[in-house]
Amino acid sequence: MKAFAKKQKTGLTLKKSGWNQRQRLLFWLIAAVLFLMAVCIGGMFLDEAAKTTDFSRKNIAPCLAYPFGTDWLGRNMFARTIRGLSISIVIGISAAAVSAVLAFILGVVSATMGKAADTMVTWFIDLVMGIPHMLLLILVCVACGRGLKGVILGVALTHWTSLARLIRGEVLQLKEQQYIKMARKLGKSNLYIAMKHMAPHLFPQFVVGLILLFPHAILHESGITFLGFGLSNEQPAIGIILSEAMKYMITGKWWLALFPGLMLVLTVVCFYAIGENLRKLVDPASAHK
Amino acid sequence: MKKRMLALFSAVCLTVSMAGGCISVSAAEEKKDEVIVTMPVTSEPEAGFDPAYGWGAGEHVHEPLIQSTLTITNTDLSIGMDLATDYSVSEDGLTWTVKIRDDVKFTDGEPLTAKDVAFTYNNCRDNSSVNDFSMLEEAVATDDTTVEFHLNRAFSIWPYTMAVVGIVPEHAYDENYGQNPVGSGRYIMKQWDKGQQVIFEANPDYYGEEPSMKKVTVLFMEEDAALAAAQSGTVDVAHTAASYSDMEFDGYSLFNVVTVDNRGLNLPAAPAEEKDGVVVGNDFTSDVNVRRAINIGIDRDEMIENVLNGYGTPAYSVCDKMPWYNDEAVTEYDPEEAVKILEDAGWKAGDDGIREKDGVRAELNILYPASDSVRQALAEDTKNQLTELGIAASTEGVDWDTAYSGALSQPLMWGWGAHTPMELYNIYHTMKETGTAEYSPYANETVDKYMDEALMCSDLEESYDLWKKAQWDGESGITQEGDIPWIWLCNVDHLYFVRDGLKIAEQKIHPHGHGWSIVNNVDQWSWE
Repeated sequence: MKAFAKKQKTGLTLKKSGWNQRQRLLFWLIAAVLFLMAVCIGGMFLDEAAKTTDFSRKNIAPCLAYPFGTDWLGRNMFARTIRGLSISIVIGISAAAVSAVLAFILGVVSATMGKAADTMVTWFIDLVMGIPHMLLLILVCVACGRGLKGVILGVALTHWTSLARLIRGEVLQLKEQQYIKMARKLGKSNLYIAMKHMAPHLFPQFVVGLILLFPHAILHESGITFLGFGLSNEQPAIGIILSEAMKYMITGKWWLALFPGLMLVLTVVCFYAIGENLRKLVDPASAHK
Repeated sequence: MKKRMLALFSAVCLTVSMAGGCISVSAAEEKKDEVIVTMPVTSEPEAGFDPAYGWGAGEHVHEPLIQSTLTITNTDLSIGMDLATDYSVSEDGLTWTVKIRDDVKFTDGEPLTAKDVAFTYNNCRDNSSVNDFSMLEEAVATDDTTVEFHLNRAFSIWPYTMAVVGIVPEHAYDENYGQNPVGSGRYIMKQWDKGQQVIFEANPDYYGEEPSMKKVTVLFMEEDAALAAAQSGTVDVAHTAASYSDMEFDGYSLFNVVTVDNRGLNLPAAPAEEKDGVVVGNDFTSDVNVRRAINIGIDRDEMIENVLNGYGTPAYSVCDKMPWYNDEAVTEYDPEEAVKILEDAGWKAGDDGIREKDGVRAELNILYPASDSVRQALAEDTKNQLTELGIAASTEGVDWDTAYSGALSQPLMWGWGAHTPMELYNIYHTMKETGTAEYSPYANETVDKYMDEALMCSDLEESYDLWKKAQWDGESGITQEGDIPWIWLCNVDHLYFVRDGLKIAEQKIHPHGHGWSIVNNVDQWSWE
């Protein structure tokens, strides 16, 4: 039933747009990337505007000049939201990159360096996963002195576990493959096998895993900042914006929370879309659908 | 499906009608002698209602309600009597003799004697972590109604200390006293749900005038929750902030209390150097001309209008309107003069419009406690105003654990204001160990000398003059013409939404802290 409905739907859109699924995936992928790039570049130019306070224009509801309104210090919420998201994206990217590298190294070490290393790494993964995510994040962040550094380190050190597991499993599977065994029998070095035979298989998994880390990282960054353990509150971070907005919700200033919240969701959805679409495009099993 | 919808509908109806019923019941029961007051969450005394751990005599001074004090501060902040009937001080200022009433009983029926008084003060001296009792050598009860305080240094403002220390019963005091306090004051603590509320009931055996409010409930909540509680009609007095002051709703009106709850900036008055890994001093603000220019270059009225919605008064000192305040501190906003002072002192604008002198840029990083949105707004406004003078300012939200060390080299948005001149001493007097003032680098021997003399003084009235001279004696001091190591911006009015019909008794000028001060005289409130 479900498959049928899907088929029908695809047929319909195919007829309408004349695009196949692959093209549509590509379209959404590019759209999401463009949106995120626009936010990032916009954020770079809006740094000053996001911090400027002007008491002559405080508490203005959304209008043409201030599409997202202004807050109680007369700050332009549009500039703050874009700047906040770009900070979040930068934090997300750096944290996810560190996290992914960590995951890759540990995953490979665990799968190739023998039983003892494997036990150690899996034990470590379990340890990190066993502590509630947010709690560990707050601990690391506060221990590292909060601020940008604390948040990046906090997110990076807590998000690598699931990707590390995935890579470990993948490598273990690959090791048993005939052609790898053959290569070993032929006397190829470990490094050669890892680079020539394993890396091409791991790469798509790794990239998709990396990109799917972003939304997590961004949400956790804004979460920890919202709770007051992250960035300092003169920064226009999205968590700060939302927690400040909470205080003024009761006075009916809905725009303080609505637009930044929507934009945050949109950003996260974009990253998710990129990750999913990329997976479908590069995954051999679904590439030719 | 239909059935379920019906069930849901009837459930909703039932809930609504029940809620409606609740509201009508509470409205019908006109409470004539009860009042519900909200306070900030930070006002809840963590260590309980024990004066030794800051109840009444803590960072934010107020009357302890549950306990009696020896003296009280009147609405004009002169000293009145509570338990004391008379007090005197020896020539050398080292011995205070206080006579107390003999008709006072604790709520457990035991009489309150001079012994309890001596015990309370000795206990505070040994255990108080929040207030300074180091001047007290020993308190001795010479008979049932006389107590002698032997001090190790003269302390002329001792009556102000006596106004905030609640007397605890020696026989009923242990480490859990703060949780179940027994006192002789106007109210008895009936119930304390930690993190939520405290309920006080009037003490039926109170020796003074009978409290007209029989039951006082204090709820601890944030400002937005307090506003919601007022809007739903569940509280009688809700504390609020300037940013909510334009809210209007039926049955309540805004009540504002003038305060000495000031906000101000310290400007480190010494050049920067590193001490034990901490930067102390600031090359830019160590120039007195810079400090003078900033003091007159800031438009306080604009700040009050913009940040406080008009609910505040300009501040020129830490003790505006107090008996020990020297009004020489008042300055006029004069941006042209401010620019002229900077120009004459050699601070010339560079290519980017920011002033410079001998390679030092006119830069400030204004710190503010991150949790306080009013101070953040004041810091932002100060930054904007300083930019117009050609000073590059930035702002940074900090926690209290880093704020104190940060303030040694950069301005911090402080809040002060207390019913004792000791605050002048704490801010401007140098410390023996370091030779500079505690919170921001500053030292002036003349100022120190006047304050030392003021403390030595045997007459309170006379000491006020010396406190005034410490601020400005015609030649030297801490005002515009003097060293001006702190810039005072405004006194923040304490705002409350008060239910119509509740008459709040005349308030004395509130000190720093938006909490217990409002209920200082809750016993005299009434419903119309």
